[in-house]
Amino acid sequence: MFSELGRLALEEAMKQGASYADIRIGEIENEILTVKNGAPEEVKFLQTKGFGVRAIVNGAWGFAASIDVNEKEMGHVVEKAISIAKASSMLKKKNVQLSQEEIRQDKYETPIKKDPFEVSLEEKLNILFEAERLLAEQSPSIKASYSYYQGFREKKFFMNSEGAEISQVITWCGGGLMAIAVKSGEMQVRSYPASFRGDFSTAGYEFFESLALVENAKKVGQELIKLFDAEKCPSMTTDLILTGNQLALQIHESCGHPTELDRALGTEADYAGTSFLTPEKLGKFRYGSKHVNIVADATVPRGLGTFGYDDEGTPAKKVYLIKEGLFVGYQSSRETAAELNLGGSSSGMRADSPLSLPLIRMTNINLLPGDWKAEEIVEDTKDGVLMMTNRSWSIDDKRINFQFGTEIGWRIKNGSLENMIKNPTYIGVTPQFWGSCDALSKDDWKMWGIPNCGKGVPGQVMYVGHGCGTARFKNVRVGLI
Amino acid sequence: MVIERLTEIVEKAVSATTNLGANQAQASAFLLENALTRYANSQIHQNVVSKNGGIVIKAFLPDKRMGTLRANTLEESEIERLAEKAVKIAKSARPDEGFKGLPEPEPWAPVEGAFVKETASCTPEYRAARVKEAIETAHNKSSIVKAVAGYFSSNTMYFAVANSLGVFAHARLTTASMKTTVISESEGSEGFGTAEKYTRNIKEIDPILLAEDAADKSVRSVKPTKIQLGNYEVVLSPLAVGTILSYLGYIGFSAIPYQNGSSFVKYFLNKQVFDEKLTVKDDARDPRTFYMTPIDGEGVPKKLKFLIKNGIVSEESICYDSLRAGKENKKSTGHSVPPITRWFYDMPVPFNMIMEPGDSRIEEMIEETKHGIFVTYFHYVNPVEPTKAILTGLTRDGTFLIENGEITKPIVNMRFTDSMLSALKNIPLLGKNQEMVKGTTVTPIKLNKLRFVGISSY
Repeated sequence: MFSELGRLALEEAMKQGASYADIRIGEIENEILTVKNGAPEEVKFLQTKGFGVRAIVNGAWGFAASIDVNEKEMGHVVEKAISIAKASSMLKKKNVQLSQEEIRQDKYETPIKKDPFEVSLEEKLNILFEAERLLAEQSPSIKASYSYYQGFREKKFFMNSEGAEISQVITWCGGGLMAIAVKSGEMQVRSYPASFRGDFSTAGYEFFESLALVENAKKVGQELIKLFDAEKCPSMTTDLILTGNQLALQIHESCGHPTELDRALGTEADYAGTSFLTPEKLGKFRYGSKHVNIVADATVPRGLGTFGYDDEGTPAKKVYLIKEGLFVGYQSSRETAAELNLGGSSSGMRADSPLSLPLIRMTNINLLPGDWKAEEIVEDTKDGVLMMTNRSWSIDDKRINFQFGTEIGWRIKNGSLENMIKNPTYIGVTPQFWGSCDALSKDDWKMWGIPNCGKGVPGQVMYVGHGCGTARFKNVRVGLI
Repeated sequence: MVIERLTEIVEKAVSATTNLGANQAQASAFLLENALTRYANSQIHQNVVSKNGGIVIKAFLPDKRMGTLRANTLEESEIERLAEKAVKIAKSARPDEGFKGLPEPEPWAPVEGAFVKETASCTPEYRAARVKEAIETAHNKSSIVKAVAGYFSSNTMYFAVANSLGVFAHARLTTASMKTTVISESEGSEGFGTAEKYTRNIKEIDPILLAEDAADKSVRSVKPTKIQLGNYEVVLSPLAVGTILSYLGYIGFSAIPYQNGSSFVKYFLNKQVFDEKLTVKDDARDPRTFYMTPIDGEGVPKKLKFLIKNGIVSEESICYDSLRAGKENKKSTGHSVPPITRWFYDMPVPFNMIMEPGDSRIEEMIEETKHGIFVTYFHYVNPVEPTKAILTGLTRDGTFLIENGEITKPIVNMRFTDSMLSALKNIPLLGKNQEMVKGTTVTPIKLNKLRFVGISSY
């Protein structure tokens, strides 16, 4: 059915003067469960459906979308997309060019063992209620305790005027725990396994089960209460070790976003900003130390940003962004890749719904593992701080100056974790920070899923992945508050 | 026509849900027609229009089990199926003893001026023509203007909500906004400047005025110098003030952080926490607010509420929806956000915050500053420690050093990390001209001290 509707829309667009057109028809199911303080805070099922048409007319883009997936509405939407493209062409400097990509007719489905939408709501809620109960009962100082589950499925159909026709079913799920405790006017927070409602993966319900929320709830609550007796993070410059659930966001903000080619070319200048990694630096700029290898990899199993094809029909790719510390690649679209003659898109274009315009979005931005074991990095550190689990984040519009806070930390002295520290924060400058990276672990390397990356105007929220383990950075300023 | 259709849908949805065994039911329906023309590198690069709509049904069973369903459809034939699914979800849930019931009906009246025909009927050609004016104006300002970016948007929202206790209300709203960011370059050094306008009437947007302002800041921003970190006097433009105030609303005045113990308000009740010149109210019926609406997402009539009164916060400052109010045996204050976004989270927040004006002009604030910083815009602000209202963020798009009452030179963007409780404790000068900045209406302000801890340079 979608194939026929798609064909009609594209034929109509070309008839009305488009030199290129594509259509995405999709439906998203999103199950969101939250238990808070012994009660169901959210028991929600959200459905999104619709279609969007992109067209190039007179060398400029137009996009229109609607929730009504039928032939009549398709005609209106095509007409709007064409008229908008014509309006865009009033203000163009050059014609849009697209990189050549392999044209495929294909299907892709996230490999899963246990369908999260076939597992009963009762079963999921039983886990959440039990985990939240165990978390809450660790102390009367815990004022708010949360357990989370989210299951997501997107069925999407893509067709373009070049002959591509792709059907995909992307499924992901996950969850986590979070608690807030207050004692004598001081507030502390602790999450598991990561902030932003937990950890998520393109996988079946087996991934949510593997998080073992019930088994970990007690430890999370106990650690939270210990923070009240911890020392404040000292203000100093020292060696900093980040575990994966903080390092993932560090990669996201200071490597993921600045290597988006739309930012580097100035098309996000009005909102998210530009990038210090400007095109003349490609292949020449030393971004980090020789240990730093970072890839954009939409193919890695179970990554939250893993798929078969992006929303331009480009097959999922793995490209190097940073190789042995050198800035060597961008995340790109067909249009931006053509502009820099990159030889092809990185398969970086995704929209957060069929009603949204695809943008360059992170897939899985992975910091490749080193040779260390995580515990060896600690043992090798004479004086430093280890920080874990993101609590606050901020970075400038060119992605140079960042400041992060984490939920918990430990002082390291003579190779061992000493006392716990609270309210840890650190600040840095991207190339200096990554330039100081001297140790990367292998044994605890895993994919982390971040479901809430915001970008674009109008704003879109995308799910992205980050592979990393534990890493050490030298001479970092910590203790900002 | 649209409102009539939506009201029919919500009535039928409430009826279908209660017929299926729900003790209480709430249904809302919305239609959004959003258009946005985005430009960068002095040309249009994204130009979009979308028709989005949906139904949200909340079903409550007699034992207080609750289920929520949101679907992207306005087909009446789907209502029965959606009601069944909402009830099914509720049956799988567990009771929430804190739920005290949906809001009871209260009289409400539409607001005049929320919906402007000219905004609702804006065409892509109109938006493109205004963008062209902005681009040409900026380039005509100076030969060092390298690129102009921004967006011009026009949006229409129709919303209706009903519940089984008799609430039945609806609203329609138009919004329009334009942002212009100008990038200049001289001898390899870039300068940035930004100006924004938010209004319900698209005709009030003057692209030439915005472009002149943004270009002026941009041209003057090239070749910025680095200054020492530390505490500085600051003069904040309305864009910067709006960002700070909206974060205070989110971390301080919402019932969720208040009940969780993370809101600073909880620890400073009835205390002089801010300068006594600072009074902020939340009033969705005031024409000065951007998101002007007579009702909230649950159909509760919007009323005037003081968040900060002469620098003092109190229990009256907290914003509730019916669920969070029930947990404290209170009534909703009408701060449920309409569930129109795909990722909606039921967090009651003030989104009609109006800062009472003072009597100073921004030029006077600069004249009264001995050694300080002028901030056009704060970027990527986030809370670091909400109980102390510690925020961090960076200056952007026009940051200048003020020396002896004059702007003397552009400076490299800087990061602040500071408690807003201490920063806003002394506000020597408060502006007299209010501007809408999304969910806030604010004036420029001068602060005696803001702590800068980092610099955006390598």
